[in-house]
Amino acid sequence: MFTNLQLTPDTLPQIAQVELHPIDKAYFKIIMINKAIIYGAGFVALVFIKLFASNIAMQSNFWYIFTAFVVFCVLNFILALLAFKKRKYALREKDVIYAHGLLIHKITTVPISRIQHIETSRSWFARQLGLATLNIFTAGESGSDLSIKGLSDAEATRINDFLSTKVNGGV
Amino acid sequence: MVFDFTEPARQSPKGILVIFGFKAFKFLKSFFILFVAYGISLFQNNTIGISPTVLGLGFVAFLVLLLIYAILNYLNFKFHVSADDFHLNTGILNKDNTIIPKSKIQNVYIKQNFLQQIINVVSLNIETAGDNKSEIEISALDKPTALALKKQLFAREPLADATKEITKEDEVFFRASLKRLLLEGVSQNHFKSFLIIASFMVGLYSEFEKYLEKLQLSERIEGAVNFDKQTLVNIFIFYLFIALLLLLVSLVFSVVKTLIVNFNLEVVEREHTLEINKGLFNKMSLTLTPSRIQNLVVKTNRVKAYFNLYGLNVMQAMVNKKQQKNFAMVAMEKEQLQHLIQKLLKTYSAATEKHKPAPYYKRILWLRLVVFFAILNLPAYFVFGTYFWMINIVFLCFALLYVHVKFKKAHFQISAEHISIGSGFIETVTNILEIHKIQALKLQQSIFQKRNGIASVVIATASKSVVIPYIKEAEANEIYNYLLFILESQDRDWM
Repeated sequence: MFTNLQLTPDTLPQIAQVELHPIDKAYFKIIMINKAIIYGAGFVALVFIKLFASNIAMQSNFWYIFTAFVVFCVLNFILALLAFKKRKYALREKDVIYAHGLLIHKITTVPISRIQHIETSRSWFARQLGLATLNIFTAGESGSDLSIKGLSDAEATRINDFLSTKVNGGV
Repeated sequence: MVFDFTEPARQSPKGILVIFGFKAFKFLKSFFILFVAYGISLFQNNTIGISPTVLGLGFVAFLVLLLIYAILNYLNFKFHVSADDFHLNTGILNKDNTIIPKSKIQNVYIKQNFLQQIINVVSLNIETAGDNKSEIEISALDKPTALALKKQLFAREPLADATKEITKEDEVFFRASLKRLLLEGVSQNHFKSFLIIASFMVGLYSEFEKYLEKLQLSERIEGAVNFDKQTLVNIFIFYLFIALLLLLVSLVFSVVKTLIVNFNLEVVEREHTLEINKGLFNKMSLTLTPSRIQNLVVKTNRVKAYFNLYGLNVMQAMVNKKQQKNFAMVAMEKEQLQHLIQKLLKTYSAATEKHKPAPYYKRILWLRLVVFFAILNLPAYFVFGTYFWMINIVFLCFALLYVHVKFKKAHFQISAEHISIGSGFIETVTNILEIHKIQALKLQQSIFQKRNGIASVVIATASKSVVIPYIKEAEANEIYNYLLFILESQDRDWM
């Protein structure tokens, strides 16, 4: 049946009013480990420079470079911590919503009717912490794909099952 | 003549020649530089250990191997069409069996390259919306067979619909005259081909630098030009001369390219579909089904608009960049363009209310330019010395023009079924898409924009993403909610 109701902006479902869930806190450990590996690599490189580099300019300014590196790491870490709180997701009857980003905040919505397939992946670290990443693929370019990282295993399975039945069952 | 595709069949035996020719050409192309290098070293009488006879024998042996490969490839390539699917068996050692359901075929197009034109065969490509690898090419069929096969592949509902299609006369809706194509070539944005030519020159130069030195060409050139290096003006004039020369070359390049690619461009209107035919060396013919189109892009610029030249690009899901160019129709008149858009998007109307981005957009444009030009000041200092700050006057003029034009051209329209977004600086680009083709929506906002209450909406379809840039946050939210509502309350498929 064809209906053509007049739409006023307030009567539509509001994206701003959706209650978004934060992702599992344990995921921050994975971010920390990843960061630690990168910072560690940088630190080791600096130590090597200090010990073996014969460049005088490099040696005399070493502590400036080192300080800059430490400041960068600290800032980067604080940003990661703040950005972590922005990672949120929500499921509605007809779509999946994922919000993330501190400096540039993005809210992506994929209608369930446009989902092509769903995938859950677990890295080795994630398995130890009981976490999973949910990848939602749509047609076409990667710009419209969605990847929700840091869900608990149970939550990922629940969402996966929910979406799978919806996608397969139609409507 | 009756064509039967129900039994597995090979392509025309001429296919061997096509496969062979194609592979040989590819080989020659990728080792071209090596051959030239060898030729030059022969020319200078210093052999590198391989005598011409050995090399010649090796070459012949290689060609024989290639021929055997082509024959085996031909023998192991069989296809047929069943009621609902297209089947293909390929592979010399590893056998592949590909089945494509007719309903999933996005495009069927017929191509004819130079070699194929000589031996009078065509190749038929079948494309789905999957990744690029799933594309199928049958490289040699005679034309009637190819046309019949194409018809079979498109015949979804048997008989009833097929006869209806025949009753309506195919009508050539638009044919680009040579004059219009020439105008199209001249009025293009030549900076693109300028960049291509320039990078090609630089690449060529670095490749042949050694040989040029040996031939003492550079000294000859310098002797011929003999410009005075002392004064700044002379250097400037010299660079200007080179730039003008390159610009002229790129102009000719774009014109010739446009002519070759779009030679005999023809748009045929069928009852449900459109057919595009074009090309000089690479002839091609492709059929567009409206339901498979994800985006429409209308392109023109000031000069083109003056000559009444409009281009329409049709974008489909997962078509690679090279293929994408084939879906462009150029040099059309405005009425023809509008007719085509109406044909492809039945209910589209350009008359809905136009909205503009927030003035904040200007600020962003300024910011980007200032950062870019500030960085450019540094190399300018080394080139022009103490007078380097003068270039900022040029920059300022450019920036004023750029921001003004960019902002003037930016607009968007949203109706119950379509979104159209205008943008561009030199070119005027309008993206049109149907709301039910949207795959995902993204609301994007930086922390500075949040403070100013500004946000952008990114609309992703299966072929590309378009942005409604820097609008008021409330408006962005409204659009986001509205589009989602339309998308989710209807049960329309995107393909």
